[in-house]
Amino acid sequence: MSYIEEDEESGPPLYCERPEWADVTPIPQYEGVSSPIAPIFYTPDYKDATDYFRGIVKTGETSERVLELTEDIIRMNPAHYSAWQYRYRTLLALNAPLDAELRLMDDFAVNNLKTYQVWHHRRLLITHLTVSTPGAKPTADPLDTAQAELEFIVHVLDVDTKNYHTWSYRQWLLAHFDDSALWLGELPYVDELLQADVRNNSAWHHRYFVVFGRGSKAQATPAEEAEVLQREIRYVKGKISFAPNNISAWNYLRGILEYSKTPFSSQAVFAESYTVRRAPWDDEDVVDLDNPKPSTDADLPSVSAMDFLAEAYAREGGDSITKAVDLWKALANQHDTMRKKYWEFRIKESLETKSG
Amino acid sequence: MVASGTRQIRPAPVDGFPTPTSDLQTTTENILKARFEYVKASPNDFTADGPVLHRNAHLQFLLRNLIQGFPARYRSQDASQPWLFFWTLQGFSVLGVGMDESTRKRTIETILALQHPFGGFAGGPGQFPHLLPTYASVCALAIVGHPGENGAWDQIDRKKMYNFFMSLKQSDGSFLVSHHAEVDVRGIYCLLAVATMLDILTPELLTGTPEFIASCQTYEGGFGSASFPDWALSNDGSVKDVSAPRPPLGEAHGGYTFCATASWVLLQPYIQTYYPARSLSAPCIDIHGLLRWVTHMQGSAIELGGFKGRTNKLVDGCYSWWVGGCVVLVEGLLGIEKHSGGKEGREGEDSNEHAWGDVDDSLFNREALQEYVLIAGQHAAGGLIDKPPKPADAYHTLYCLSGLSAAQHRVVPIDERKAELLSAWVDAPSDRTKDEATSRLRKRAFVDMLSWVEEEGTVVYVGGAANRLNATHPLLNLTATHVEAMMAHFYGQKTPMRGAGTSA
Repeated sequence: MSYIEEDEESGPPLYCERPEWADVTPIPQYEGVSSPIAPIFYTPDYKDATDYFRGIVKTGETSERVLELTEDIIRMNPAHYSAWQYRYRTLLALNAPLDAELRLMDDFAVNNLKTYQVWHHRRLLITHLTVSTPGAKPTADPLDTAQAELEFIVHVLDVDTKNYHTWSYRQWLLAHFDDSALWLGELPYVDELLQADVRNNSAWHHRYFVVFGRGSKAQATPAEEAEVLQREIRYVKGKISFAPNNISAWNYLRGILEYSKTPFSSQAVFAESYTVRRAPWDDEDVVDLDNPKPSTDADLPSVSAMDFLAEAYAREGGDSITKAVDLWKALANQHDTMRKKYWEFRIKESLETKSG
Repeated sequence: MVASGTRQIRPAPVDGFPTPTSDLQTTTENILKARFEYVKASPNDFTADGPVLHRNAHLQFLLRNLIQGFPARYRSQDASQPWLFFWTLQGFSVLGVGMDESTRKRTIETILALQHPFGGFAGGPGQFPHLLPTYASVCALAIVGHPGENGAWDQIDRKKMYNFFMSLKQSDGSFLVSHHAEVDVRGIYCLLAVATMLDILTPELLTGTPEFIASCQTYEGGFGSASFPDWALSNDGSVKDVSAPRPPLGEAHGGYTFCATASWVLLQPYIQTYYPARSLSAPCIDIHGLLRWVTHMQGSAIELGGFKGRTNKLVDGCYSWWVGGCVVLVEGLLGIEKHSGGKEGREGEDSNEHAWGDVDDSLFNREALQEYVLIAGQHAAGGLIDKPPKPADAYHTLYCLSGLSAAQHRVVPIDERKAELLSAWVDAPSDRTKDEATSRLRKRAFVDMLSWVEEEGTVVYVGGAANRLNATHPLLNLTATHVEAMMAHFYGQKTPMRGAGTSA
């Protein structure tokens, strides 16, 4: 962390003041341009460091001090992709210990969650650390490394449960190392996140990735696959029952039915009870475990349920299209008027299909 | 106007089951509701015609950035300098303001300093070339440049740019955004846009790219950032396991969905030219799923009809363009615009019980999106924003304005324009040295891009015509004038006048 706590006045000397950098010729940014447009007002330390960076790039030097310089720049501006690129090349050229680099990256990741480069650099390091070359074992055990990464990411996602780069990096890790031991821990983790926030769409997407993303790679028998599908349908319907307007869960249900080529109509009975304001079965004592009813606090009808049921009817075709059209009309004119044009398009399209 | 009429302002239903996501949503709804009430009660912001676009304040904001420069907090954009130029210059274009000669000259000099000796443009002088700044640079040069010695267009080294592009190509049809950097669909969009504008498309460049884009679509219908190739493909790109998936990495997201959808449209000339001939089965995407996703990103009335970037996330002004502006691309893929070509298309529908009383067939709520930008997207001190109480910045200023423009104007592929362009097409002498398919590819790329013109009689101005912005090309976010001039130059064509007399 070097000097990050210190204030401006007592900061470290600029590169142009340091004798050990005297052999580098700094290159100002717009050397040949008399009056550049839209300039950024840089602080002196940033301007100084990037002038020396341009000087280094010009000579092609890859040495220890380049690591210091690029770290400095990256700390001031983590989106400086050229500093990252040059740092990576330098690490390789120096044969520098990449596990130390990875630890340095840990606090970068937490502090710069939204920067592409932080996560990509990590991916490069992990790949390099665990690659087997002919006749040489990898520097780090792939499985242990991947496991440690997954654990590390949990802490990062604690800070921001929907961070895009973190999630896509986690998905890459699972696919790249592709070990059943790694995949195994994901479902309980996703469940934990959905327990905490059933509307977390990133967690739903991850669930889909974990359960269905491997496809044929999962090497399940047809019977096992059918069992997994039933388990997921039960799971998502349970989640829908206590937050029926949660579109993330409905999208998941649609997604897994689509994936498994299961007709939407197989869930029409379930969806129907969410499309009416108050159903006669509210007073019934019978509990249908396969088709959980909406919770008592539910705001019904649920737009997502109407959308789902209309889709189921439309796909059935024939006379069911009329039922789909009725639902779409109700969506267009009453329950989801913002999407009026979309629902009217669905009506028009389905009637064209029917008559054509 | 929707704003002044009766509107259903209902909070998003929480089902008596609040979670962190719904809490944040509720907080945001309250902010937007308060903002709406404040603006409606303010005579400066809301007249009898509706909400006011503070055109002059935004112009001053852009001018200040361009002439005086950017404050120190823009250091984070030091590696995205061409974006600052593009956001600012295109902001002027959308606002209908031209640039004086000396500013153009300075801008050209500044941008040319970013061209890398090995091809492509960098985020700043002495930085490495990267696909994103390359797109931003070329678009900025489309605005300020011209042919000839100091016009910048002929100073773009297209040969080296092509080589740079090829050096980024991966075996799965994707591209790194820069050497040693990540793969994602933003970079591919930038590459395709630039290669199309500069006439450097080749089948070699595009091999496998449609398949890659298709693999990024998620179960929700939108697109994620990239996909994982190694189960299905060998390192050389050959198929290893036909049945193996290429799962998307990351959930459906507005920015990636725009880039992937626009890429898909930009790839159509290649797909049409090469797939039938090679009897390859063309990859496909789920266009209906995509339509459902993009239209579902539009927030409700309480969110003032702004767009979100992901399911269950918050509305943000920038998605006015990335998602709101994407709807018309999806309509184009569905072929919807063909039903709406002027009066003839409409006559047969009179007996239809669902006669559409509206001026057009847009599948999103154009009025509501305009309200979001006008009411929630403007900063009192000039410039535009994500949502109150965020500060204005160059990025949100452009994408709010472009989104507003996309909601005012309906720019679609028009068959009549396509026919005009086709009949005016002249095979360049260099075409004879290439094979016939490549000639067809570049002809299609040119004609398809310039067929997107404004549909007559479909403008909608919330707040009155005083809020009018220029139309912008849905695939490139440049005005038709700039796209036509640059492409006519690089393709060696003269573009015909528009016979039907479409928009200015």
